[in-house]
Amino acid sequence: MTHQHENLSAFMDGEMSDSGIIDAVKNDEAMQEKWRRYHLIRSGLRKEASVAPALDLTAQIAAQIEQEPTVMAPKRTWADLPVIGNVIPFAKQTGQFAVAASVAAAVILGYQQMNYSPTEPFMTAPTTGSIGGLAPVSLEQSRTIPRDDMAALMKKHRQVNALLEDHQQQIKLKQSDIEEQTDSKEKTPEQR
Amino acid sequence: MKRCRLVDWPLNRRSILVSLLTLPLLTFNAIAAANQESTVGDGVVVEELRTTQRNLPTASELLSRLSSAVQTQNYQVSFVQSRAGSETIPYLWRHAVLADGSHMEQLNLQNGPGRELIRVGNTVSVFEPDVPPYSIHSAHINGPIPTELLNNPLALKDSYEFVVVGRARVSGRPAQQLRIVSRDNSRFNYHLWLDEETGMLLKLNMFDLQGMLLEQIQVTHLTMLTDPHDYFSRVNQALLPKPMVVSSNQAKGHNWFVTQLPQGMKETRREVRRLAVTGQVVEYLMLSDGLVDVSIYIQNASDAIGSDVVLRHDLNTFLTLTDGNYQVTIVGEIPLKTANIMAASLSRVSHQP
Repeated sequence: MTHQHENLSAFMDGEMSDSGIIDAVKNDEAMQEKWRRYHLIRSGLRKEASVAPALDLTAQIAAQIEQEPTVMAPKRTWADLPVIGNVIPFAKQTGQFAVAASVAAAVILGYQQMNYSPTEPFMTAPTTGSIGGLAPVSLEQSRTIPRDDMAALMKKHRQVNALLEDHQQQIKLKQSDIEEQTDSKEKTPEQR
Repeated sequence: MKRCRLVDWPLNRRSILVSLLTLPLLTFNAIAAANQESTVGDGVVVEELRTTQRNLPTASELLSRLSSAVQTQNYQVSFVQSRAGSETIPYLWRHAVLADGSHMEQLNLQNGPGRELIRVGNTVSVFEPDVPPYSIHSAHINGPIPTELLNNPLALKDSYEFVVVGRARVSGRPAQQLRIVSRDNSRFNYHLWLDEETGMLLKLNMFDLQGMLLEQIQVTHLTMLTDPHDYFSRVNQALLPKPMVVSSNQAKGHNWFVTQLPQGMKETRREVRRLAVTGQVVEYLMLSDGLVDVSIYIQNASDAIGSDVVLRHDLNTFLTLTDGNYQVTIVGEIPLKTANIMAASLSRVSHQP
């Protein structure tokens, strides 16, 4: 058995082209289960699991239901009493409505949350924590700031952008400079 | 007689007990020794099996294969670059070794007006929509894939550790997966997938320290060619712009030093410059570990940004700190924590020995 598991693992890694293993997996349910689990574990380990591990509970639940004894004669319940018996169906119905309504509300809430996306141009870092007294910059602030502060804010944005732009520019040009330095140092430009 | 026997009995029992106790101990030792031998033996056998049968390549082998394939083969690669919260950017990348032994390379941004970079030997010509075409001296095209990783990956070993993860399937091809982790955990991490057949890069993921995906480069199409692509024969080399002279001799130095550098990060540039947009004079430092470049700007607090700022622009962390006299700005693809340590450790050496 362990030999077979080893083969399975090797086959999964593409290190075995023996077609016998395919039949073994096809005909053995335990092996199929292992095959599925190995893949799940692997993608989990590599952080590439794109789907949540879908636990297949249906078979177990079906088996459980199978074992459940069938109730032939229903027990006496509140519904068998004359007056209450008439009230309960009504209560049940409204209950169902309430459930349906709450589900709808949940769907709407969920939808809103799913569609919520931050409108800020930058992701601002948390201002609390080890670095104290740092103010996040975002265009959202401009709404609450009075007019004369707008100029200061715009200036700030311009300065931030100037630095960001300069950084990009430096990265673009960095290799040319490195090349120049090595050329001048070694005097041996790469021969073609 | 009876008494005697009664006295004798316990003695016998004791001796039996003693022998019973010692026997297992002895045998246990013997078994343990034997076991040890056998496990050691098995270990060696297993090790041999692994190396001969499975033939797991080492990280260095994979990386050398990558750089030699990138530099010596004719190929055409289509890949996309995606970042969280922005559109996917498609690129076309071609490389050729011509009959006379010279190298040509092309990188083309495929969407919109595009951006075309052509490298002939050590000259890279850049064609951009709103800038007149220009050329610079450079041995590599500076694209979305870090050039150091493609061309000289073993040099990154000072800063990063490369771990072979195993086989995977990427772009429909069997691939070897590698993890790239900074040695002092102060920079972002990468996962790298290399094609088993050709050694070429198939996928590169960049993660922050919490394991969130920041950027992904995914090859969608890879063709290895025996002959250079026709494109290169159509490039009229005489019409490419002449390389600009980037004069660095007039640049003045300054005495600022970062005392707490992340492991493997080195200073690559130091100068006093004017910013193109605002015209402000800044003292500038560029640091690099091969995969990421960090810019440090030092300005007088008087003409600096009012308050301290922390923000994230694309993948760049932007951090400013002011001590009253000077404002330090750090820009680069590094975690905020690292930027903060670097900014705080900046100090001025008044007289260099």
